[in-house]
Amino acid sequence: MEVDWSVVPGFLPQLLAGARVTILIALAGLVGGTVLGLIAGLMRAYGGVILNAIAFAYIEVIRGTPIVVQVMFLYFALPVLAGVRIDPMTAAILAIVVNAGAYIAEIVRGAFLSIPRGLTEAGLAMGLPQWKVLTYIVGPLAFRRLIPPLGNQFIVSLKDTSLFIVIGVGELTRTGQEIMASNFRAVEIWTAVAVLYLVMTGVLTFVLRLIEKRMRIL
Amino acid sequence: MSIIEFRKTSKHFGDLKVLDEVDLSIETGEVVVLIGPSGSGKSTLLRCINGLEQITGGDLLVDGVSVRAGAKQLRRIRQEAGMVFQQFNLFPQMTALQNVAFGPRKVRGLPRAEAEAQAMQLLEKVGLAARAHHPPSALSGGQQQRVAIARALAIRPKVMLFDEPTSALDPELKQEVLNVMRELAQEGMTMVVVTHEMTFARQVGTRLIFMEHGKISVDGDPVQTIASPPNDRLKDFLQHV
Repeated sequence: MEVDWSVVPGFLPQLLAGARVTILIALAGLVGGTVLGLIAGLMRAYGGVILNAIAFAYIEVIRGTPIVVQVMFLYFALPVLAGVRIDPMTAAILAIVVNAGAYIAEIVRGAFLSIPRGLTEAGLAMGLPQWKVLTYIVGPLAFRRLIPPLGNQFIVSLKDTSLFIVIGVGELTRTGQEIMASNFRAVEIWTAVAVLYLVMTGVLTFVLRLIEKRMRIL
Repeated sequence: MSIIEFRKTSKHFGDLKVLDEVDLSIETGEVVVLIGPSGSGKSTLLRCINGLEQITGGDLLVDGVSVRAGAKQLRRIRQEAGMVFQQFNLFPQMTALQNVAFGPRKVRGLPRAEAEAQAMQLLEKVGLAARAHHPPSALSGGQQQRVAIARALAIRPKVMLFDEPTSALDPELKQEVLNVMRELAQEGMTMVVVTHEMTFARQVGTRLIFMEHGKISVDGDPVQTIASPPNDRLKDFLQHV
């Protein structure tokens, strides 16, 4: 079979629909993951023994297991264990939230702890409570250091959505797989899928660059 | 009542005893200069006053409030005791003016305009009104430390604590910082200063304390003490600074 690029436009609407699902999972997952990661990371950095231990356990379990296993667990094992049935889309978003959250927690912890101790002391010495020191002094500085590794994680998570093919979510990779199964146009379809991923990660990189520039990394 | 009162105050870091049952009373208006070899506990003594180090034995009262009376009381103490650090510790994301206005805004809840007007006056006082809108990175070390002094003054403290304020500065920059401190002392500010600047100690200090192994070994009038050190350890120390 010869390579024939003219077949691609015909499948484009279908592929774009798949890409939309990918974006939806990634977006919802990363917003949730960032919130979760922020909480877990601050628990690690500033929490007492108990909060620290909870966050540590969460991070270790998630980082120590593959995301495919995590999503399978959410989709297939949870109904058995807890009697909760969730649809594939919810399972996918939840998996990204939980998974990205663990990695982002470590990024957050690292960024906050990298801010010189003296600045925290200067804030405390004025009579500010710890939370105000974190909100007004350390937080804004840590945020600047957060952006590059956070961008990395966003890209990893966006690509990780392709693994949800295992629970049948109609995202981009799954869509490519389905088209392939009907016409065997491997070169054309997988190239198109790869290019669409590149466009998505490219836009993400561009947006992060923009934020970085505006924030002026200190 | 003394403004600062150490009562058999001890501080341990694990097994290491950094302050060993220190008794010390500091009165309003005093300029106490703390000297001593490194590891003698002088910085720790200073940092216990505003609770940046927690005491592990005895008690320590600032303006009648114990540093052990809980988080809320400790914050009150910290608002009465401004601190200036060796490394300046200015907030790098803010201009000089914002640094100085920060405390009044976030601690005392002053509106921004009012806080900044007050901050401008303090910057004028330390001779840096012209640099108000520069970030710390655009200021020299001496200028940064003067901004840091203004920032500490902005919360209207009763006592100023200085932790080796000129140790990170080039010789020619030290003087501008010491001059600001001298003016402050002349205005009657109560000050506790950890420093190696013996000229400052002699001219500005009202009291000189020499620390050794976590204890106060000499406590006296700066001029007399420096002219005729009461023990050999201090004599030896003074020859090396």
